[in-house]
Amino acid sequence: MKKAFLTLAAILTAFSLNAQNLSGRDIIKKVKDNPNGETRYAKLDLVLEKSNGSKRERKVESWAMDIGEDTKTMMFFTYPGDVKGTGFLTWNYDEIGKDDDKWLYMPALKKTRRISGSSSKTDYFMGTDFTYDDMGDRNVDEDEHKLLREENLEGFDCYVVESVPKDKREIYSKKISWIRKDCFMGIKVEFYDKLGKLHRVLNVSDIKKIQGYWTRSKMVMENVQTKHKTILTFSDMKYDLKIDQEMFNVTKLEKGL
Amino acid sequence: MKNLFLLILMIISVNVFSQEDKDGNFKLKVKGFADTYHAFRYEKPNDWMSSRSRLRTEFSLSHSNTEVFFSSNAVYNSLISSYSGFKIRELYICQSFSNFELRVGRQIITWGVADALRLADIISPMDYSEFLAQDYDDIRIPETAIRLKFSKNAFSFDILAIPVIETFELPFQKDNPWAISLTANDSIIKAKKPDFKIENSEFGGRFSWFLSGMDFSVCALRTFNKMPVFALNFDPIKQQLIGKEHFSRMTMIGSDISIPVSKFVIRGELAIYFNEAQQPNLNAEIYNKNSINTLLGVDIYPGGDWNLSFQYSHKRINGINNMINAYRNSGTATVRVSKELFRNTLNINTFAYIDVTSGGIYDRTSFDYALNDIVHISLGFDYFKADQGIFKLYDKNSEIWIKIKASF
Repeated sequence: MKKAFLTLAAILTAFSLNAQNLSGRDIIKKVKDNPNGETRYAKLDLVLEKSNGSKRERKVESWAMDIGEDTKTMMFFTYPGDVKGTGFLTWNYDEIGKDDDKWLYMPALKKTRRISGSSSKTDYFMGTDFTYDDMGDRNVDEDEHKLLREENLEGFDCYVVESVPKDKREIYSKKISWIRKDCFMGIKVEFYDKLGKLHRVLNVSDIKKIQGYWTRSKMVMENVQTKHKTILTFSDMKYDLKIDQEMFNVTKLEKGL
Repeated sequence: MKNLFLLILMIISVNVFSQEDKDGNFKLKVKGFADTYHAFRYEKPNDWMSSRSRLRTEFSLSHSNTEVFFSSNAVYNSLISSYSGFKIRELYICQSFSNFELRVGRQIITWGVADALRLADIISPMDYSEFLAQDYDDIRIPETAIRLKFSKNAFSFDILAIPVIETFELPFQKDNPWAISLTANDSIIKAKKPDFKIENSEFGGRFSWFLSGMDFSVCALRTFNKMPVFALNFDPIKQQLIGKEHFSRMTMIGSDISIPVSKFVIRGELAIYFNEAQQPNLNAEIYNKNSINTLLGVDIYPGGDWNLSFQYSHKRINGINNMINAYRNSGTATVRVSKELFRNTLNINTFAYIDVTSGGIYDRTSFDYALNDIVHISLGFDYFKADQGIFKLYDKNSEIWIKIKASF
């Protein structure tokens, strides 16, 4: 009886949320709060493609764990050979203004180096079209959000939200996101440069449920100004793995995969 | 002692093959590279300074909580044939249990936070067969060690024992352009390494904390001066300078810290050496003195794929006398500037050692281009300029080099 009551309450709450008018911030908050398990694992394949068709590839294995609003991530390169075994450990803090803690393990030197947690957010990740910020978990209140309209994109009803960064040092002046109404997953994002020109476009496809969690399997980020693009494919994704915080320390980083 | 060491290795090896694997499988990882490196002198007679090709292979075989790691170099050196051959670089077995990790065998051990300078990081000695004109990751010589590590949350404790120490590899062969030569006519007598005895073993420990906003370590090590000092005498009959290597016991206590502040990482290191052997003057006896070694460094991450790093290291020898061929206070600085271009396909890097005391400089600048995911081609210039000091030994050794490296 109690279970039935809770289920009914959950349905009514969900109906109520859908029925009310959501602000741009509400929508982005719901995207960020999309359940994705307390812990996660994935293999990432990054293909860097030039406009002339030549390609380079990076492969990464990644583990993540949420601790409250913060996230700890361990990442190792598995390809190509010159960076194989290189590891990154990040303690990402949700609090605005608090720098992340980051360590880099260099297997050739057998050495871990403390690196700046604030510097690389606007740099591109290993030559790809994704910035470190794109790869991380951005606080909702680092941008001003505005719901522009609702429209159908690729057969999905979407909210279209404009997000303008409060920090003028960000590399983009605004971004416009298409958020699917049914699962609150972004399927397209346009990034505009400081001159207001379209700079990069992110297209997300192959969204499906894995272990009950909505999951993106493929992301294509294209720099429309240089025609360079990066195809990011996730595979072997797992949620709610039985790992503890001990996994996310420097000793484990030095131990490697 | 030797038997005890072998017994520990045997027990762990048996353990590898007696355990049930969680996945039911052994896991084999292979990586390595093949490279060819050639350098010629920038000034007359523009002779070859180095010409070598190498195959590095690394294997890691793991089973449950046990790993065996093996790495080797197969080298062909066309200039100095004695450097050619097959060498085991690292070979160790590693067993993890709960919060502990035991690693036994030949391994590279790195302490401290200094970049390319040795203060607390004095366990693995250096291969100076081409002085510093090699990649820094090639310079370290592994030690055969028993190492136990405990880690819990952000804390770790590392204790180690090294039954037989390794010492610096120094170039004395006259056919080596990097040969150490004090005069036109000198002779070096190599010292015998300390015997395989408990009282000659090296041992120490390091406590480390990796915290939000700060890394901190303290360490202590009972060791030897692995870079030899030379007792220098003149043989009037042969009209020859005789240099005799000398190693002696010393103790180090040290500490290091790293603090990230916005786009900077501040690094500091302190190492106090007790009874460090000092290089004597001609015909003088060898004195052991205490010295204080400090380092302050800053890494700057300005964005745009730039990376800058500055370090200053200062050495103060206490109780120095006129028999010792060293300054009471001496300093070394380093500067690194690195930039990634064309989506990380081209890396431009320059790293300079500056002998602040004597005014010399050694700078290694390189342009590394990734032809594809496997092959890198690098072009570089090593520049020496000094009127005195360590870099004076090599002031005719400025060179241009090329390296092609294929990684797998």
